[in-house]
Amino acid sequence: MDSNTVSPDVSSKMDIKDKIIKAYKEHILIHGTEPPSIFAFCKELGITEDVFYEHFNTFEQVAASFWKELFHNVAEEVKAEEGYTAYEAKEKLLTFFYAFFEALKPHRSFALLSFKDSVSLLKRDSQHLSEMKKDFKLWAAELINEGIRKGEIAQRLRVTNAYDNILWLQFMFLLNFWRKDGSHDFERTDAAIEKSVRFGFDLMEKNALDSAFDFGKFLFQDR
Amino acid sequence: MKEQDHIPTSRISRTGNFLKTGAKVGGNYLKYYSKRLLGTDDTDGLQRENAEDIYNTLSKLKGSALKIAQMMSMDEGVLPKAYTDKFTQAQYSAPPLSYPLVVKTFKSQLGKAPQTLFDSFSKNAVAAASIGQVHRAEKDGKKLAVKVQYPGVADSISSDLRIIRPLVSTMLNISSSEMEHYLAEVETRLMEETDYELELIRSQTISKACSSIQGLEFPAYYPEYSAGRILTMDWLEGKHLDEFLKDEPSQELRNQLGQILWDFYDFQVHELKQVHADPHPGNFLFRADGTIGVIDFGCIKEFSHEFYSDYFQLMIPEVTNNDRAFEELLFKLDFLLKADRSEEVEHFKKVYFEVHNLLAQPFFADEFNFADDQYFARIYALSQVYQNDKMLRKAKAARGPRDSIYLNRTYFGLYSLLHKLGARIKTHSRVTGLTEH
Repeated sequence: MDSNTVSPDVSSKMDIKDKIIKAYKEHILIHGTEPPSIFAFCKELGITEDVFYEHFNTFEQVAASFWKELFHNVAEEVKAEEGYTAYEAKEKLLTFFYAFFEALKPHRSFALLSFKDSVSLLKRDSQHLSEMKKDFKLWAAELINEGIRKGEIAQRLRVTNAYDNILWLQFMFLLNFWRKDGSHDFERTDAAIEKSVRFGFDLMEKNALDSAFDFGKFLFQDR
Repeated sequence: MKEQDHIPTSRISRTGNFLKTGAKVGGNYLKYYSKRLLGTDDTDGLQRENAEDIYNTLSKLKGSALKIAQMMSMDEGVLPKAYTDKFTQAQYSAPPLSYPLVVKTFKSQLGKAPQTLFDSFSKNAVAAASIGQVHRAEKDGKKLAVKVQYPGVADSISSDLRIIRPLVSTMLNISSSEMEHYLAEVETRLMEETDYELELIRSQTISKACSSIQGLEFPAYYPEYSAGRILTMDWLEGKHLDEFLKDEPSQELRNQLGQILWDFYDFQVHELKQVHADPHPGNFLFRADGTIGVIDFGCIKEFSHEFYSDYFQLMIPEVTNNDRAFEELLFKLDFLLKADRSEEVEHFKKVYFEVHNLLAQPFFADEFNFADDQYFARIYALSQVYQNDKMLRKAKAARGPRDSIYLNRTYFGLYSLLHKLGARIKTHSRVTGLTEH
């Protein structure tokens, strides 16, 4: 069969990529810093440098790839959840966040080290989280459109376009929260997700703000 | 430096909420005193405004703070009426958990989503409990009630209590040392209440022990669908007291239901020496066929035999009417302390005699009419008198056995349930047996 001739190559490529990510994570976990050079890293792993460059240019990209894959795995996972398609946008976002932090749990040490040097996650996101950010914002934009279509989220000129950015900031807030969370089984993070998403959607849905604007416009036109 | 920002911050912001209330309550007092200077004494108005401000703050801080609001609303004798009216609202309302969080809780505690575990599961909560909410489920044709706890409740209890301490001590007019005495016990009970595994075991034990009491129904519990923060039991039919009373049940039915409650508590206190110490209206389901469903065994108070036999001496007229014996008993129970001056001993003895005599009234007669408004007005009036008693307020030390806190709360709760129900009760009690020892 055709697929048989293609797949070994593809899968071995995937294997190498995963292997690099895994080895990079392990190095960070054991030594607490990035490998001294790509050369040293490849030697340790037993691959040649050009194999590394086939997939990545820098260590940052390796880390970015870890986050991106985690995001996609979780996005796929929640989509498969029973009843997910019938959920409201708010519930979809909640489900995503819960699943994401659950999936991140086994990688906590790496995640903490990965952000060790940064004062704030927000500054670092240009490097390690850049790819995840792009994809998350696409995902979020889709979610928001769905929310608008179903009337869950108020359509507000200009403001609506910034919602995907706001959701990203919320995501980063939660990541930061989780980083410092010392509670049993990260229950405080669960509470932070619950409360911040509820608050966010309270703001995004049609509320007093929209009525005030509408009323103001009416008065203005009626002068 | 930034590293450990988070937890203190949230505590600070929560403290902030309380401070705001403190300031508002302070403002209310200012208003009150200026009104009084002008010659109008508006105590009720003051208390109403305080209650509102405090309630608004508490309702922003869910979890244990809500629980405390709920608890205080039980003690109608201890708290001024305006407080209790406002707090009673806390007994039924709290913000619901989102469905995804419920799913997550199931997955992490039982390994499966609720739809997989049960044949059907209500997406929305059908009722709120103070530290969680109740969903309806079905499995193999059986109707079930599934209680799911808010995350992080256990973690926030002690910090909530630390925050609430100064506030409550001003509200109740009691010294902070007395508060300490009170809160240590409260903290233990609250922590137990967050442990659904413990609740499951206790529910099974108590419902088995009380199975001989006619007219009571307990749900069966399902360990296979329960975990630390999930508790599954049978769905019981019935109405909450307020709703039940709207159907205007006959006096006979009300007496019958009240009698069942009385017997239930009498049996627990005197036979089991442990008691369902949360007799708030939400935990009982009343039915027109003259039976009661009992749910929620989160708060169980067990007491030692020694405490039991000493404490219930207070209910025996032969002891309380004998000055020497009564004084001895008060010393034994720490109501009176060795350090007390003789005029304090005399004064407190008089106070305790009066209070206990009044509260033990139902025990002294064969039958007692809990519908009697006069009786409850007297309890309320007496508590007002002693709240303003200078010598009592000056007393720094905490008085009375710690074990009595929840026992008193239980009886206050029971009295107020029976009062609302307007029931006439045959108060035959096993206490009378004590005199024969």
